[in-house]
Amino acid sequence: MAEKLVLFEHRHLPGVETAAVYETVGGYEGLRRALQMTPAGVIEEIKVSGLQGRGGAGFPTWIKWNGMLGNPPGDRYVVCNADEGEPGTFKDRELMLRFPHMIVEGMAIAGHATGSATGYIYIRGEFTEPADAIRRAVDEAYERGYLGEGIRTDGSRFDIHVHLGAGSYECGEETALMSSLMGERGQPRAKPPHAPLPVVAGLWRRPTLINNVETYACAPHILRRGGAWYASMGTERAKGTKIFSVSGHVARPGNYEIELGTPLLELLDMAGGVTGGALKAIIPGGSSVPILPAAKCTDVRLDYDGCRAAGTMLGSGGCMVFNETTDIVKLMWVTARFYAHESCGKCTPCREGTRWMAKIMDRIVQGKGRPEDPDLLVSVCNNIDGRSYCPLGDAAAWPIRASVLQYRDEYEHWVRHKTSPVGEHSVPKVA
Amino acid sequence: MSQVEFVNITIDGTTVQVPAGEMVIESARRVGIEIPHFCYHPRLTMEAGANCRMCLVEVSMPRKNPDGTLALARMPKPQTSCSLPAAEGMVIETETPMIVEARKGMLEFLLINHPLDCPICDRGGECPLQNNTMHYGAATTRFVEEKRHPPKAYPLSKYVIFDRERCIHCARCTRFASDISGDAQLDFLKRGADMEVSSFRDTEFTSLYSGNVIEVCPVGALLSRPYRFTARPWDLSTQKSICTECSNGCNIKLDHRAGKLLRVNARLNEEVNEEWTCDQGKFGMDYASHEKRLRRPLIRDGAVFREVSWDEALTHVATALSEAGPAAAFLGGARSSNEDLFVLRRLFQEVLGSQNMDHRLGPAYPSAADVRAALGSQSPTPIAAYERMTTIIVFGCDLAVELPILYLRVRKAAVRRGAKVIECQPSSYRERPHANKVTDFAHSSIWYEPGQETAIAEALAHVMTGGRDPGASDGASDAAASLPNAVAEANVEFGSAIPRLDDGPIAIIIGRDVWSRSLSVPATLKAAADKMGTPCVINTYACSVNEQGARELGILPDGSVQASAPGLNADQILHGLKDGTVKALWVSGVDIASQFHDPELVTQSLEQAPFVVVTALDLNRTATMADVVLPLASVAEYDGTYTSMERRVQRFHQAFDAGVDVREEWRIAANVGMRLGVDMPYASWRDIFGAIATSERAFAECTPDNLGDGGRLLADRNNEDSR
Ligand code: SF4
Ligand code: SF4
Ligand code: FES
Repeated sequence: MAEKLVLFEHRHLPGVETAAVYETVGGYEGLRRALQMTPAGVIEEIKVSGLQGRGGAGFPTWIKWNGMLGNPPGDRYVVCNADEGEPGTFKDRELMLRFPHMIVEGMAIAGHATGSATGYIYIRGEFTEPADAIRRAVDEAYERGYLGEGIRTDGSRFDIHVHLGAGSYECGEETALMSSLMGERGQPRAKPPHAPLPVVAGLWRRPTLINNVETYACAPHILRRGGAWYASMGTERAKGTKIFSVSGHVARPGNYEIELGTPLLELLDMAGGVTGGALKAIIPGGSSVPILPAAKCTDVRLDYDGCRAAGTMLGSGGCMVFNETTDIVKLMWVTARFYAHESCGKCTPCREGTRWMAKIMDRIVQGKGRPEDPDLLVSVCNNIDGRSYCPLGDAAAWPIRASVLQYRDEYEHWVRHKTSPVGEHSVPKVA
Repeated sequence: MSQVEFVNITIDGTTVQVPAGEMVIESARRVGIEIPHFCYHPRLTMEAGANCRMCLVEVSMPRKNPDGTLALARMPKPQTSCSLPAAEGMVIETETPMIVEARKGMLEFLLINHPLDCPICDRGGECPLQNNTMHYGAATTRFVEEKRHPPKAYPLSKYVIFDRERCIHCARCTRFASDISGDAQLDFLKRGADMEVSSFRDTEFTSLYSGNVIEVCPVGALLSRPYRFTARPWDLSTQKSICTECSNGCNIKLDHRAGKLLRVNARLNEEVNEEWTCDQGKFGMDYASHEKRLRRPLIRDGAVFREVSWDEALTHVATALSEAGPAAAFLGGARSSNEDLFVLRRLFQEVLGSQNMDHRLGPAYPSAADVRAALGSQSPTPIAAYERMTTIIVFGCDLAVELPILYLRVRKAAVRRGAKVIECQPSSYRERPHANKVTDFAHSSIWYEPGQETAIAEALAHVMTGGRDPGASDGASDAAASLPNAVAEANVEFGSAIPRLDDGPIAIIIGRDVWSRSLSVPATLKAAADKMGTPCVINTYACSVNEQGARELGILPDGSVQASAPGLNADQILHGLKDGTVKALWVSGVDIASQFHDPELVTQSLEQAPFVVVTALDLNRTATMADVVLPLASVAEYDGTYTSMERRVQRFHQAFDAGVDVREEWRIAANVGMRLGVDMPYASWRDIFGAIATSERAFAECTPDNLGDGGRLLADRNNEDSR
């Protein structure tokens, strides 16, 4: 199998980030079609397409959109989560740089489908260039009538406000994103069964639709070419295409758009295969998901069920490839430090547990590990997993625990010999 | 009224009916199960809560099988019971192996960075962290690294000190600041394990309610500066009392040891202070143990005072008073108990035949009849009733300073119940340095300059009675356009349009600065209120602890039904001392030389007065000018009742014996009466309270035994015959 280009079809077309060029390849036709349909009709099209949220959780998109319609009248919001912060993931960045209009169009379609007049796009703070690209696209879209009242004839309108985050991974969690957008601390808010979903009470307690960049980017294509067409790609239970960010020890790191269900090893081939030694492991869905040793990579298909069956998750599609020079302990040390740095601090297990894990990992890679440390790490992970306020705690625990369970020998080597099992020149480097 | 819906939930095998949406942690209490917790506090909002993760429980919900039968499905993750609304058929397990393990894990997390300060921590012995660790924690730690060491003992304000090392980040204090006092002066800085509570870069924590965070903090992180290191909780005795710092009547607990008051904490009363105090109350009641307390009666001997026995002092007072007879007078009393005032009044009316008495210290002395004519005989709006108001008008009152606990209730009414608050304030209030302003939650703020009060009241009355801009739609009026010209010309600044005022019950609070000067503002508003279709109460609340009691008991020149002619009011009494028509003065518990509206007059009068007796806790300015000074028992040292501004009669209890020779004022007055040949055979506050209930119509339904812990509102005046 090769790449299957839908979002990326015109990836190499010069100027596709401008409205003029975007329009020559069908841009904004999806929105025009949507505006001729009823909201329920648009949502039906999304339903037929089988589109699932591309941010990580894989929740059926149409159910979220549909959830907005049941609310009493009043303000409601469409929010695009462009706080792409998951280590190993860089697909939204490219989408924003190259196809900003696709995102604007997708949000405008969602606005029509959910009866919302206001959209926010919350962009990761470090993404200044993508933010500029989005801002230019938003301006152009106003000029051409795709935003504001413009081409709409029913008196409705749709506006987009661009907001830059302030540098917090946690703000990619949808409820924390809402807190941040409202000017509060970037900490998560209650969800079911404790509080209603954002589609019932989100921003300013009004119905709010939050989707990932890639999810919105799919909408124009589905509206233009039909849900059935979209559903013809992928597998029975995971329709369409998905962009994977491949990084690490591969010949051609970058973003690859493939049909869901494509074997993991094929994706690896597309990226030019492993470099610098034999394959050791792959983390298929961003740093939060459990690591897959090479032996377990062979039969994995890249869809929600396939990854789950292999003991990992599809996640955000941040596929990180590691060759045999990789020191798993040091890799997890970097990971643990990342989560300790990014924990928002709201809840006990994540605030204290992530910092504790980082400290344990610190001492292991400094040659001061203790024999009981691998078990202690697993125990700390168990005490976080499922008990934190938001999924960040789980995301910090899973990779570490999986690494101890899969690579216990490497941890024991570090503890016993105080050096890396893969030698002096192992990656990553210890700072 | 919407019907409360009930649901059945099962907790550890016991099925119970609870209101739908009740938090499961509360439902568990109904079946006698206490779920351990730190961050949960029923009065704080959930948004920033559910963070300590100590209260996890396992939850199963009924789910329909394809064949229509019900089966229980257990949620994959444990849930925090403090934020989980009870739902029909929910099954809760609080002690599964997983939960036991989870609690142990959570305590371990909380303790890895918690200093082992218990032996020197004020909280030790009454610390939820200590208690939960004993019950649910592991015996040892697996944490071997260095703990976090943020600064200890950082002073946040003059009352509160912060030990950052001990903080468990439960966000109770920050939620108190944002949800209850509303000043949001405490919040978190930084994130992750570096997150810390801060008063914004360590600026001064100027909230007028800062002391409450000490009580809500579940560990010894926020501490009282005056109390710090003075006692261990198990050494303290506790007594129920009433705060004497203002007229709100807050229910408090006095923690004391060896005759010393060491700490004041709030005592729950849903109708009054809920579970809060203001800083004035929490930290201001140190006089009981003050070193300047008077220890013996004093008699003036030329330029100095001589300590004398009670017998000598009382003989002296009795003689002077009997010589003065009907030319004796009595000022103050707003800080004395109902029992004190009742006996004092008997002494003056029955023994001396004098109606020269006044508890008022402000410049306006309308007769009781004038007040009734202007304001009718409405009962004041009770504190808790503010939550049912549609509109609340605050006129010339820095509420958080004047009536601090009413401020919290008005804020709650505005923020949680959606009441519209309109304030009309002197513009100087905008500059006041404290953090708790009505403006923060007011719908409209109207600022005036001194002298414009009546014009503003007229404008407001105009709006109240429907004189809106006829062009305004939907009742919302551009107030400026609808005002009488006089006000428009006065260039009054209107913060925003005044909303319609006739869409539900209204309470108007008029500040002491306004009503103690003249009746014109209350009278103007009352006249307008009478023309409205909605209930509207004009409140000129008492401000001192028992000022309302003094009003009820008629400590006024015309407060008596028996007296044939009214006596002298406060100004007249003081002038009378100068011109010799008043021959003896009794000043009861109040430092009139500092608090009277015309201090100069007080000084002159006392200098020329033939005889002055002052009852006091310490040698205040008034006392220094007296002929006899009698040391009073403080509220911590005797039993009695006060009547708060909402006409709630409440008990205070003796906490300890002062160890100095002080007496209750009622005992002093009864003794003087006895020396003058009238027997007032009272042995305790109960005897006097019984007598009050018999002779005072307002107190008719009260007995010494039916006041309970929360006190009792006096019968509604509208149901009384006018006195
Ligand atoms: S798991 Fe807890 S501390 Fe971690 S990011 Fe979520 S809420 Fe914040
Ligand atoms: S100072 Fe106390 S109340 Fe405030 S967050 Fe820390 S532990 Fe909680
Ligand atoms: S008490 Fe429920 S999470 Fe803190």
